[in-house]
Amino acid sequence: MTAVDAPAARRGTRTAKLPRWLKGLLGLLAILGPGLISANAGNDAGGILTYASAGSQFGYRTLFLIVLITVALVVVQEMCSRLGAYTGEGLGALIREQFSLRSGAAAMVLLFVANAGLTVSEFAGVGASMELFGVSRYIAVPLALAAIWGVTVLGNYSRAQRVFLVMGLVFIAYPVAAVLAHPHWGTVASNLLWPHFVHSNAFLLLSVALIGTTITPYMQFYLTSAVVDKGVTPATYKAERIDTVNGAILGDIVSIFIIIATAAAIGGSGPLNSVSQAADALRPVAGAAASQLFAFGLLGASLLAATVVPLSSAYAIAETAGVERSLASKLREAPVFYGLYTVQLVIGAVVALLPGNLVSLVINAQVLNGFITPVLLTYILILANRRSVLGAAANGPVFRAVATVSVAVVGVLSLVVLAQTVAGWL
Amino acid sequence: MGRALEREDQALQARPSRPPSTLGYGGSASFIWVVTTGRASVPAMGFNKPTWTPGRERRAVSEKHFRQLMRLRARSERSARERVAVRQLEGSLVSLAALIGSAVKDPDGRKVGELRDVVVNWTATTAYPRMTAIVVRTGKHDTLVSYRWIEVFAPASVRLHSARAYARAVERRSGDVALAHDVLDHQIVDHDGTQIVRPSDVYLATIHGRVELVGIEVGLRALLRRMGPKRLRSRVRPQRVIDWGSIDGFAPRPGESVRPRGRRASVAGRPGTGIELDGTAGEVKHLRPSELQAALQRAETPRGGEPA
Repeated sequence: MTAVDAPAARRGTRTAKLPRWLKGLLGLLAILGPGLISANAGNDAGGILTYASAGSQFGYRTLFLIVLITVALVVVQEMCSRLGAYTGEGLGALIREQFSLRSGAAAMVLLFVANAGLTVSEFAGVGASMELFGVSRYIAVPLALAAIWGVTVLGNYSRAQRVFLVMGLVFIAYPVAAVLAHPHWGTVASNLLWPHFVHSNAFLLLSVALIGTTITPYMQFYLTSAVVDKGVTPATYKAERIDTVNGAILGDIVSIFIIIATAAAIGGSGPLNSVSQAADALRPVAGAAASQLFAFGLLGASLLAATVVPLSSAYAIAETAGVERSLASKLREAPVFYGLYTVQLVIGAVVALLPGNLVSLVINAQVLNGFITPVLLTYILILANRRSVLGAAANGPVFRAVATVSVAVVGVLSLVVLAQTVAGWL
Repeated sequence: MGRALEREDQALQARPSRPPSTLGYGGSASFIWVVTTGRASVPAMGFNKPTWTPGRERRAVSEKHFRQLMRLRARSERSARERVAVRQLEGSLVSLAALIGSAVKDPDGRKVGELRDVVVNWTATTAYPRMTAIVVRTGKHDTLVSYRWIEVFAPASVRLHSARAYARAVERRSGDVALAHDVLDHQIVDHDGTQIVRPSDVYLATIHGRVELVGIEVGLRALLRRMGPKRLRSRVRPQRVIDWGSIDGFAPRPGESVRPRGRRASVAGRPGTGIELDGTAGEVKHLRPSELQAALQRAETPRGGEPA
């Protein structure tokens, strides 16, 4: 850890020569930076389009949901990073150890399905953003597939990840757009503080999509493994907890502004039909260039998530099975890892190329995630409750109550919508 | 493709010592060789005439192709050897994963309880850790039954010597490791804390009349076997095994500030987060089935003065 800190400290002394305002800005970024970036990584194609759709279809009325989801997200992510820090193992491995091999395998199958769905939506995001630039998705998606696979397996993954992250930072423009669009702040405040249900199936379905895209199953597995990889121990867990909570809250603040900006621009115009409609929300900031700006950010966010999501499920499954899992190993040394990664990428690209509306495809993938989330959350909750796993760091009575209520609400909502969906088919 | 290679393989086996040539081998090769090089050391009489033999037609084989073929042959020979070893091991290896949950019966064949765990202890005198007891669950009650009162059969069954054995529960000793609790599916880390493996099965075998922990399976096939139907679960097929004889010692790895409470910290011991090995990841040897078999045979041969 000290070896990593040393260069950072040296860099810190160099900034002393910079002008004052820049130093202040850098300081602010240093505080907000890691959280903001990780929060932004959560705002992938699925997230942005789902929030935008919420804003266009129901105006400000979904805002209270985001506040509730944020509470659940903070609770869940805190449990995940605690599990990682105290046990030193990923979630899949913990489920296999603490429940049974079959439970672990079932969790992995669910994660794979959820992440394959997400990958589809990321490739759909790539296709949609390139269509805004006037490139057909039948060219853009295969190209993106080849580029992503090549960069991760053959090239420099971390550099590519940084480029995608910076591209995705475009979406920090949303808060500015929301302010410039002059929303009814009174309505916004009342919607944030007080539940405004809409009695319709579409609202329920969108709620599940919002849950699925905010409390993504992949995020929890990714977070736990990242905490383990960083080498966080119980002794250094406090700082990690602040980071985790900040990340969750900041990410949801960006989501709230996406909904406000879209609601102010095109609120009440029904469900989102095309990506260019979603881009209209950025018009107050970028004017005529809104569409290009939105496409640029969406492309970055989609590419980043299309790399990270399949990688994280391949990693989690390989960890649960106990086999080699690292981008540093050769193709032949880690066949399970690379095989799963490639299969997911190919599924994602192929489904995204099927003819149909890309936006509804993306939102359906989020609904699928919303159905799977409560199952995996139940595992996480039970693990974090167990004193035999976490000892004194296991959930206390208050935390346990809050977490149980969160998971139960999410579960009941998904069950209701699932029942409605199935009933709709019959 | 497969059949063509097989045919070439057969032909190679017929004359393995001949060097690769661009012309090929077989009955006709020597004739052509003699004629084209002009070194007529062999009289070109009738018996040396090129004759057509079914299955012996040869294409020209390049040096590179030849080496590939030899590698293929070595691989097929090796896999055949491993298959034989696996079949022979099946009669002697006990699979822990299959053993867990199986019925423990008394001499009359009545079910006494369900096997929950196998406890081993490592004393410095043996190459492998020895089984000291099993954990039997009757109803909601766990009992440690000493190895003296039980008999373990490959691939996965346990019988009590006498009906009264059950009454004689033993105490758990320090250094005991509960295999299902601490080893199976748990991570094994080395001295530096590097994770080595996550065992997908644990193998026991009878050596010198005592059941000993001989190795842990790290292959993926064991995972599939365990998730499959119950009937197939006792089909022990070692794939990649870590020889427990190559490991110096181990200890249950205590979880950070984990305090045992309730049923989970029962006779099987307090839960840890896997076990820690003496030594480093580099020293751990992975064995193929045939190597495992050889190691077991070595262990079974009587050592100095000890009766077999």
